[in-house]
Amino acid sequence: MAVDERIQQSLERAAESSGTPDIRLDRITKSFGDIIAVDDLSLEIPRGSFFALLGPSGCGKTTTLRMIGGFEEPTAGLIYLGEREVSGTPPYKRDVNTVFQSYALFPHLSIFENVAFGLRRKGTRGGNLKGKVEEMLDLVQLSGYGKRKPRQLSGGQQQRVALARALVNSPRVLLLDEPLGALDLKLRKEMQLFIKRLQHDVGITFIHVTHDQEEAMTMADRIAVMNEGQIEQLGTPDELYERPQTAFVASFLGISNLLTGAVAGPDEVRLEDGTTVRVRNGSLNGRKGRVAVGIRPEKIRPDDHDPNRLPGKVKERAYIGVSTQYIVETPNGNITVVVLNDRPGTVPLGPGDRLTLSWDPEATFVVDSLEGSA
Amino acid sequence: MTDQLTRRELLKRGAAGSALLTVPGLLAACGGKAKSSSAKSAHKLAKTLHFSNWTLYMDTNKKKHTFPSLVEFQKKYGVHVDYVEEINDNASFFGKIQGQLSRGQSVHRDIVVLTDNDRYLSLMIKKGYVEKLDKSAIPNMKNLVDVQKHPNFDQNRDYSLPWQSGMTGIAYNDTLTGPVLSVDDLLTNPKLKGKVTCLNSMGDALTLVMLSNGDDPSKVTDKSFNAAFNRVKKAVDSKQIRQFTGNDYAPILARGDLMAAMSWSGDIAQLGNKHIHWNVPKDGGALWTDNMLIPKGGNVYTASFYMNYVYDPKVQGLMEAGDPKKNITGIYYIPPVAGAGEWAKKSDPSVASNPLIFPTKKMLDSVHLFDNNALNNQKYLTQWQNLISA
Amino acid sequence: MSFFHRHRGLTPYLLLGPGIAWLAVFFVVPLGFLAYQSLQSGNFDIGYAFTWSWGNYWHAIRDYHAQFVRSLEYAGLATVLALVISYPVAYWIAFRGGRWKNLLLLFIVAPFFVTYLIRTLAWETILSDNGFVVNTLQSLHVLGSSGRLLATSTAVVTGITYNFLPFMALPLYVSLEQIDGSLIEAAEDLYASKLHAFLRVTLPLSLPGVVAGTLLTFIPAAGDFINAQLLGSPENHMIGNVIQSKFLELTDYPAAASMSFILMAGILVAVAIYARIVGTEQLTGTAT
Repeated sequence: MAVDERIQQSLERAAESSGTPDIRLDRITKSFGDIIAVDDLSLEIPRGSFFALLGPSGCGKTTTLRMIGGFEEPTAGLIYLGEREVSGTPPYKRDVNTVFQSYALFPHLSIFENVAFGLRRKGTRGGNLKGKVEEMLDLVQLSGYGKRKPRQLSGGQQQRVALARALVNSPRVLLLDEPLGALDLKLRKEMQLFIKRLQHDVGITFIHVTHDQEEAMTMADRIAVMNEGQIEQLGTPDELYERPQTAFVASFLGISNLLTGAVAGPDEVRLEDGTTVRVRNGSLNGRKGRVAVGIRPEKIRPDDHDPNRLPGKVKERAYIGVSTQYIVETPNGNITVVVLNDRPGTVPLGPGDRLTLSWDPEATFVVDSLEGSA
Repeated sequence: MTDQLTRRELLKRGAAGSALLTVPGLLAACGGKAKSSSAKSAHKLAKTLHFSNWTLYMDTNKKKHTFPSLVEFQKKYGVHVDYVEEINDNASFFGKIQGQLSRGQSVHRDIVVLTDNDRYLSLMIKKGYVEKLDKSAIPNMKNLVDVQKHPNFDQNRDYSLPWQSGMTGIAYNDTLTGPVLSVDDLLTNPKLKGKVTCLNSMGDALTLVMLSNGDDPSKVTDKSFNAAFNRVKKAVDSKQIRQFTGNDYAPILARGDLMAAMSWSGDIAQLGNKHIHWNVPKDGGALWTDNMLIPKGGNVYTASFYMNYVYDPKVQGLMEAGDPKKNITGIYYIPPVAGAGEWAKKSDPSVASNPLIFPTKKMLDSVHLFDNNALNNQKYLTQWQNLISA
Repeated sequence: MSFFHRHRGLTPYLLLGPGIAWLAVFFVVPLGFLAYQSLQSGNFDIGYAFTWSWGNYWHAIRDYHAQFVRSLEYAGLATVLALVISYPVAYWIAFRGGRWKNLLLLFIVAPFFVTYLIRTLAWETILSDNGFVVNTLQSLHVLGSSGRLLATSTAVVTGITYNFLPFMALPLYVSLEQIDGSLIEAAEDLYASKLHAFLRVTLPLSLPGVVAGTLLTFIPAAGDFINAQLLGSPENHMIGNVIQSKFLELTDYPAAASMSFILMAGILVAVAIYARIVGTEQLTGTAT
């Protein structure tokens, strides 16, 4: 009932300014002394989406989030919350709430008071306040915990209090700063799904900062991969995985085999050992000279079924259960191959065994040559 | 600033503070048994003489930081003097040593110096905390000035011998006020209101007030005590008196916060400020004397031998005057040794002619000793203490 | 090692042993002796005897209640002043001090390398009748032309405040420094203005420091006598001055001892009232 109400609310909000993104960053730059943390970054985050900022530490993702939250002011550029430009507006005047990495629960206040904090500041009182807080505690499955102090709760429970404390205010946007970093793996997986479901239920725009690509892919509708203060690529998780546009994105999200070579014709690349491989139609995108051809490990077959072929020799084998991973030595360097163990009785290849690897041109992507970059 | 402060009062409060924490006797449980007084040590000098004195109370070579008369004593007699400037006020020092003395333990000191216008000197003698002097070792005792020969706390000088004397009078700052020459003026002149201090030592303060009342401070009666006490109290209540002080009045006076102060002659002599004048009040001032004592367990012969040394007029004269040519400063108080002035004149004539150090006959005639019985009258003391610290 | 294994229950007591012994020798025994002494009668000349002389307490209260009350009053005032002065300073160092933190803390502590007495004497000079402070106050007509600071209660309270400031500032700094900056950001994120964030988050979280600082300042300040003696006139004297004079000048040890006990009781009552107000949780530091 209450959740429906909130969805209703956000639908209304969407209606009154449909088409306007919830957040728009217009060429923002943030420097700390000589260090440029965020470099001329522009970004739009559509209403109601679960958006992830993904990148290694120091890439500027947290700084970007803090600028949206109002904790940092951009050195240059504009930030729009809906239609309103907010740079210079202090955090407490922004319709944005944050879930902090350390949760930042107030240790001296009860769980109830933690959740009620924002509502009280906005003037909600009495039964209304109590109702909203309890409903929110219920939503994060913590009803009955209101009287406890934060230190009496487990990490996962504290995390949920932090979510409730922010969401109870029904902000336009919820910012999550590496919210799962302190949890153990199992709990992290649970919380990923929980937060995802929660976002779906409340319909509020979530911006999630993480360095964990798997977490970003599991949770987010759209991901911006950041590197050195800039966005390398923005897209849905499968776009990023299947069609990475840069070597950085290709290697940051999952494992990629990158084979360097030179453009040899329309949709053709000659690898370093002289083998010519075909790539997906149009993926060269007008590139000339040196490029890298990428193929995901699970898309390579350990036989000559597909048109692109390379000979090789098994160097290492790792049995993972659902699949087996091979490192295969080829004239173009080591290639990682993952084979599903879906046919019982198949005799696995062992180190030293020779084989042919093949893949479909449709399974390839092309990025600028890796040389010179990581 | 500290130079004038140090002699008497500066550390008084600090010392008192720590003494308060020290429950007497509890922490002073160390220390060996005192030798019985009858076991007179043979007439043989000890290697070391332990001498506890007030600060800034010995001739000093400012350059070498030595005490020339003590160096000379060692050179001549082979006795090293372990000279410790540890006495800052009578009460605190007495508090420090009384625990051990009351249990018959030695305090490891051969000579200590206490003042006759405070109660502790006579208390030490009365309680039997001191050794008898070995007068056979002090032939120079004949040089003791007559006025000091028969004090009422030690009629025959069996236990004590004066170290130095001083006078209590009134000092004023001539840049702020005209001459303040009487106790009357000090306690009632409205121009001085809130700009005068009174000494916190009962003997000093009441001697001056009693003389001004026309009473005899050497024979205190309840009537004369009450009259003097009430006069001081009235001056406190009317806010004429700003504070009661030890010798910490000196820097305040020099700074100009005070127009006049009840004060000690030696402090003003040491201050050397040409705008600060010291006088014996019109109706008379107080005389006090610091006396050497040998606490129980001290080495009587060596201590007596040293006393004899300083009672040599030549030695005393040099100690008093110092020697400006050799960077030696003197004690600059009033020596109790007859004939010391002649020798002082030889090394520093300005000292010999300074009436604060070698007072004129007229001056000496106008200064008086306070009644020793009154000093030990608990009722008086309590009343006085309540006045100055309430 | 095997001993500890066999007598595991004893181990905590053994570890506490040295501490308990220390307390016993340097606190309980002297305190017991003081209590014993406070019930003696007699005087120094005839000696003291233990006579259950409760009159010492009665007399102390009858004759010196003004000084007792004044001591608590001055100490309380000085404590409040020290808190008001050092809170912003500690706050600034903790949150804005950056790499200068340690140096700034050193500045707070630096004057205390000088002896207590000399520091207090320095105040005598600062507050001097012809000094800068008095002249300024006179020209601002805060003080009359013949007004003064020395030998007034203002000077005494100022001196106490100054002398005990680090005891307030350092615990405050420690408690403020421990506050996670993201808590304040969280408060601002939840619509609290800077002031509200301070009142609802920073201030309550620094309470253990406030409590520690208050006690560390108030308790010794109530027993102080140096400031009253050097900066005050007789009518500003505190109970410490009376105890000092009873003990040293009058050698009336029973009176001094009973007054010490009354002072101790007064402080305990004041602390108990304080604990009632702020909550015992803060007092024992269990709330963090």
